[in-house]
Amino acid sequence: MDRRDFLKRSGVFLVGAPCAYVLHVLPVSGARASSGHATATRRWGMVIDLHKCLEDCTACVESCRHENNVALHGDERWDVYWIRKVDIESKEPAVGTEESVPLLCNHCDDPPCALVCPVQATYRRDDGIVIVDHHRCIGCRYCMIACPYNARFFNYKENHDWHNKNYPKRSHGVAEACNFCAHRLDDGRLPACVETCQGIAGALTIGDLNDPHSEVSRLIADNPVKRLREDFGTEPKVYYIGLPGR
Amino acid sequence: MDVKFKPIDGNTPRYWTLVGILAVLALAGAWSTWLMFKQGIYLSGMTNRVPWGLQIVMAIYYIGLSAGSLVVSGLYGIFGKAEYKPFARMAAYLAMLFLIAGLLSIITDQGRTDRVFIEPFSHANPWSMFSINPSLYIGHITICIIYLWALFNEKYRLTKVASVTVVAWAIAVHSGTGAIFAFTPRELYTSPLLPVAFVAAALSSGAALMILVITALFKITKRHLDLGLIVWLGRLLAVFIVVALYVIMIENLHRFYLIESRHAAMYYLFGGWHAFLFWGGLILVGSIVPALILFKTKTGTSLRWILFASVLVVVGVWCERYMIVIPGQTFPPELFPGMEIVRSPLNEGIAVYNISFLEVLQALGVLGVIGCMFVLGLKYLPLAPAEARTVGESQMLKHMMPDAEVTEAAVSAEN
Repeated sequence: MDRRDFLKRSGVFLVGAPCAYVLHVLPVSGARASSGHATATRRWGMVIDLHKCLEDCTACVESCRHENNVALHGDERWDVYWIRKVDIESKEPAVGTEESVPLLCNHCDDPPCALVCPVQATYRRDDGIVIVDHHRCIGCRYCMIACPYNARFFNYKENHDWHNKNYPKRSHGVAEACNFCAHRLDDGRLPACVETCQGIAGALTIGDLNDPHSEVSRLIADNPVKRLREDFGTEPKVYYIGLPGR
Repeated sequence: MDVKFKPIDGNTPRYWTLVGILAVLALAGAWSTWLMFKQGIYLSGMTNRVPWGLQIVMAIYYIGLSAGSLVVSGLYGIFGKAEYKPFARMAAYLAMLFLIAGLLSIITDQGRTDRVFIEPFSHANPWSMFSINPSLYIGHITICIIYLWALFNEKYRLTKVASVTVVAWAIAVHSGTGAIFAFTPRELYTSPLLPVAFVAAALSSGAALMILVITALFKITKRHLDLGLIVWLGRLLAVFIVVALYVIMIENLHRFYLIESRHAAMYYLFGGWHAFLFWGGLILVGSIVPALILFKTKTGTSLRWILFASVLVVVGVWCERYMIVIPGQTFPPELFPGMEIVRSPLNEGIAVYNISFLEVLQALGVLGVIGCMFVLGLKYLPLAPAEARTVGESQMLKHMMPDAEVTEAAVSAEN
């Protein structure tokens, strides 16, 4: 091989290898299925009826924390909430509206968190659940920057409380968010928050948005519903009944 | 133009003390990173509301500083100003080091540093700016190495090709870095102008740093440097400052003019101590004062004033980088338009970010690593030109400052 040939071949390799690599990873980015239970025919969504949600009740928050070993360090800077309750009030005092609202991951159809994740640790399953692969997350926290709903958290500290031995706790250094209790849904059970709420107020409902006869589809059809900041175009799959404001 | 290169002697106790101090800084940074890796990054000042802190500020600052090579290569590779070629080796070497510093800052900032060398390669997401940018940085480092090799071996054609490639690639690097923020749906991040502003600020900080490094090196090693070269770089720096200022002004005017983003703009411009960094650090100290110094003929042709202005720009651009990263996070997203959150287990309002001591150590550590590489590079690699003279210097200087004594000015640069 002469020098010219060598340079030619090196050039082909230098250009070709990255191209081949990109073509190799391109089709699997954005959404990918990881579980045998996640199917494209089903699309999980949640309806939260704020008329039913009790103001001082945090049973959903507690059950979620217990089920998923969500870390509580007693310091709001590092506490993790897959679901949290906030009270909102109208900025116009004359209106005087006040409401207690559960906030959780919206499992967007176009999730900005999954778009920015450099290692595809956050991805949307075929059944619409946005989930974090904690074994892959490198802890760059770009998803927290990209999520416009402040629904993403980070394990800044080691979590020493392992309530539920049937579900793994996460090491420090990885991102966190609600996953609709995917492990329970895959087993045919309801997410911990929904199950708990149904025994108390019945404000949370989960179901298949693709099935027009499902409870969630019926609730969405029969009630005026809103999603958080629909103007972002992220297509959230958590619907609120009775959410005040614009 | 025939240029001789001469590594510095580096045998004095002062030299080895400097290497020692930089090595200690590097070790301190490594220790701090190890501590955070073992115990968690709560040891930094970062929180759930402010997940990006000093390391990201430093990373984008370093990336911007690497633009010195872009300026020098552009000057002789595209505009044919051959008198700047002697600085090309040092500029390319510095660019490489700053990109390494940027990458190091990002790597040491990760929650799971142990996975950084595996997952981004095995499961890359080609749509993520955090995948695209490290690829651009690594590509830039590679191009710098090829460019350096061509310069060391006096390969004329390869040097020419590489110098143009460096310019194009560096613009992609700086735009891409701005896009990390600009392409996310956060009120104070989203902006098509941010990548442009990033390039403009990178050019000013890169040019300012080149002025400082070149002058310091020539002064310390007592080599001849014609003032005209620095004066011309200073003029260029002044133009970069004005362009950056213009883009930043338009970006903020746009945010302020639109009703939906006015609240965020008010917070950015006046809502807290970061506003001092913006008005005092970036606008006054980092832009207006140095631009006035550099545009005024008397000060713009005096080495001391040019150096002073360069220091101000380097400080001002750090403030600009801080303003890109932090206020966009401390300002809360509006989850419920028309409503406000009155009770929550978390802080849903304006967040606070306090830089921790360990974060500062990490940042100093990165500085130590590249500082060591730079100082050792000067000793062991033929980077520094033995002298730098302008082509037809007297004509250029006379045109710029008809009243000044050219010979005196040139001599003052040597002292």
